[in-house]
Amino acid sequence: MLLLMLEIALTMAVLGNLVFIVYGSIQRSHVSTGVDESRIGLIQSISVIGEPARGTTAGDIAALRNVPGVTHAAFGGPPLWYVERDPVYLDPSRRQKVAQMYEFQGSEDLGRTLGLHVVEGHDLSKDELPVLGKMDMSKDYQYPVLITRALADRLYPDGHALGRLLYDGNATIRVVGILDHLRGEITGRADDDYSIVTEFVVGAQNMGGGFMIRAGDPARLPQILRAAAAALQKADPAHVQNKVYTMAELRQKYFQHDLAAGRMLVAIMLILLVVTALGVSGLASFWVQQRRRQIGMRRALGATRGDILHYFQAENFLIVTGGVALGALFAYVLNLFLMKRFELAHLPAHYLLIGAVALWVLGQLAVLGPALRAAAVPPVVATRSA
Amino acid sequence: MFGYYLDLAWRSLRRHKILAALMTLAIALGIGASVTMLTVLHNLSGNPLPGRSDVLFHPQVDPRPADLPGAKVEPPDNLTYLDAVNLYRMGVAPRRAVMGGNWLPVRKDVPDSPLAMTTNRATTADFFAMFGVPFVYGSAWSAQDDANHAQLVVLSQALNQKLFGGADSVGKTLVIATKTFRVAGVIGAWNPQPRFYDVDDAYDGGAFAAAEQMYMPFFTWLDLPQDYGYGSMDCWGTDPNAGQHNPKAPQCTWAQFWVELDTPAQVADYRAALEQYSRQQHQLGRFQRAPNVRLRGLLDWLDYKHVIPVTVRMQTWIAFGVLLICMVNTVGLMVAKFLRKSGEIGVRRALGASRRAVFLQCLVEAGVVGAAGGLLGLPMAWLGLWMVRQQPVSFAASAHFDPSMLVAALALALLSALLAGVWPALRASRVAPALQVKSL
Repeated sequence: MLLLMLEIALTMAVLGNLVFIVYGSIQRSHVSTGVDESRIGLIQSISVIGEPARGTTAGDIAALRNVPGVTHAAFGGPPLWYVERDPVYLDPSRRQKVAQMYEFQGSEDLGRTLGLHVVEGHDLSKDELPVLGKMDMSKDYQYPVLITRALADRLYPDGHALGRLLYDGNATIRVVGILDHLRGEITGRADDDYSIVTEFVVGAQNMGGGFMIRAGDPARLPQILRAAAAALQKADPAHVQNKVYTMAELRQKYFQHDLAAGRMLVAIMLILLVVTALGVSGLASFWVQQRRRQIGMRRALGATRGDILHYFQAENFLIVTGGVALGALFAYVLNLFLMKRFELAHLPAHYLLIGAVALWVLGQLAVLGPALRAAAVPPVVATRSA
Repeated sequence: MFGYYLDLAWRSLRRHKILAALMTLAIALGIGASVTMLTVLHNLSGNPLPGRSDVLFHPQVDPRPADLPGAKVEPPDNLTYLDAVNLYRMGVAPRRAVMGGNWLPVRKDVPDSPLAMTTNRATTADFFAMFGVPFVYGSAWSAQDDANHAQLVVLSQALNQKLFGGADSVGKTLVIATKTFRVAGVIGAWNPQPRFYDVDDAYDGGAFAAAEQMYMPFFTWLDLPQDYGYGSMDCWGTDPNAGQHNPKAPQCTWAQFWVELDTPAQVADYRAALEQYSRQQHQLGRFQRAPNVRLRGLLDWLDYKHVIPVTVRMQTWIAFGVLLICMVNTVGLMVAKFLRKSGEIGVRRALGASRRAVFLQCLVEAGVVGAAGGLLGLPMAWLGLWMVRQQPVSFAASAHFDPSMLVAALALALLSALLAGVWPALRASRVAPALQVKSL
């Protein structure tokens, strides 16, 4: 009986932690990046240096915007796609790094293409943007940027971020607007949402990299994106188009490793549950057989079938409860080990409750067969010798 | 006697088919899960170049500034441009190769043929001989070609198939980053896993990325009109992007460097030369730190870099947790099983069998269960590996069954069943004969 309790405790410990890990990655895969994902498509279009350029970046963007169904287009990449991550400083000497932030850089309209929400201050407007190629390259030039609420709160706990200056690796940055959310990546860390957006006026350059479109109708995004890619290739035949993704495909690619690992863990959880169920029902049928005479006697003395059934069910409940109590302790220890070795987060108590309920249900299901067989033992066996 | 016990075990198990099946199934599931993960782990930690791994070494020097907040003691993995060139020119090792990776636009040498981005490894002539790369057509370029910045390229089989239909393309031309290159050779199947020579480039899949599609002379590559990244670029100072467009930035490391050293004396000499180089750079004022060099062998290097993905390590731990639970489960079932035949044991004991004999008999029965569980666990492990191969992970290809794991699976199954059987068998051997015989 102790063994069964031990087995249930171990199962509980592993199960609780696995549910926690799997649920964590599922939850993460649903966190929003803060952009209007259902409408955004990405075209990676690489300019071949040394080829006579046949288009301009301004022309490329105009060609994208002219595709029917496209409402906005910009040069620049979306979240989850190699966003540059830079240190941020509050003093120009750059002695003390405050945090790491994601820098979204692109052409004018980048923010509107992404569908960002400015909640304080104002959106970037064309007349204040730096003009690429004609920029004031002095150290004092202040790039106007939008920053996320999370980053603003991290940098300026006093709540007054608008108009303040900050510094990345090589530029001075002035905050003109605050965004609700913009996540460069989704790792579960707090600094996922530390982002800034910089826009430039582009002209006759020929730049390669990410181009984005925003479709008016999300349902037609795949067709619109294909048409846009074709239009861009026509406008700039010297580019190599390497990848064309909708934001939904990008998200799916980003999380596929996590979800694959999650599927493996679910398979392991199923194995665990099956094995534990086998153990419970195997031992229960042994006990039923061992106690056949006893059951027969109880029946002969007036116990109903229900009494016998409930007796085995209650016994199973008690064993599982003991196992669960011990298992909670084991789960906690295992979690400590995983936290240390694999940087896992702390296991919240309600996952233990989920594990406990799962095991109670499993135990009752597994014992049902043997208990029914016990209930079917006729009273007459009491009169026979073993 | 052993044969007789086997016979007894077989009869006993057949008598309680359900219990025996449950035990076997539990062991099989535990073995299936743990052998699956063990195989993945075994294949991922395999030797990428058996036979050559013990003569290949990875030199590191430390060009970082003296005060660098949060800097580790270990020198950077890769070299700066200047150190790469200096160490390459330092002719102490019999063979050496400096290298970097990125992708380049490639097309056939036909007007208006379509361009495709193609992964490339830029390196020096010894790369192929040092790493034992097999050639199907042609050969590697020479050290002279390296010095002359020759526009030569070595193709992978796949790229040769794509561009030239798999024919002998030696001497044919193609256009790489707007320059015309001549094919020097085509290599055969070669894809060392882990890709030990460059394990860090996270964008292309890290240590389990596929080998590149083409190879070209390092210095030719640096001359190309290009801005396609430089692989694992890592810069210190306030601006992490200083090397993005300038591989020669003095604060950026990105070049991999490997040497072949055939004898312990050569290794010692090379280590001394690295220290000498660091001291000299220190005196010149270029290195701020005292000599801080490493010269790891290939396998030590992989060990140091922890190339095995963390999810795989975690899943292996969990799979062995499952095996442990399966064993506890088997212990419970075996106790039930053995105690059920207490009467039979009592009779045997009364007729003169020793405790040892009963213990051994029970253990043999446990072994039979273990062997059966192992045999049933093999197809489960095979299924498990098939599942891993379906996953979109870079190491999926290495989840294949190999014969050594077959033996390991059976041994593991037998061992865990015997371990699980010890305590139940002990309990069975302590059955008091008098009590049992009385109740018959």
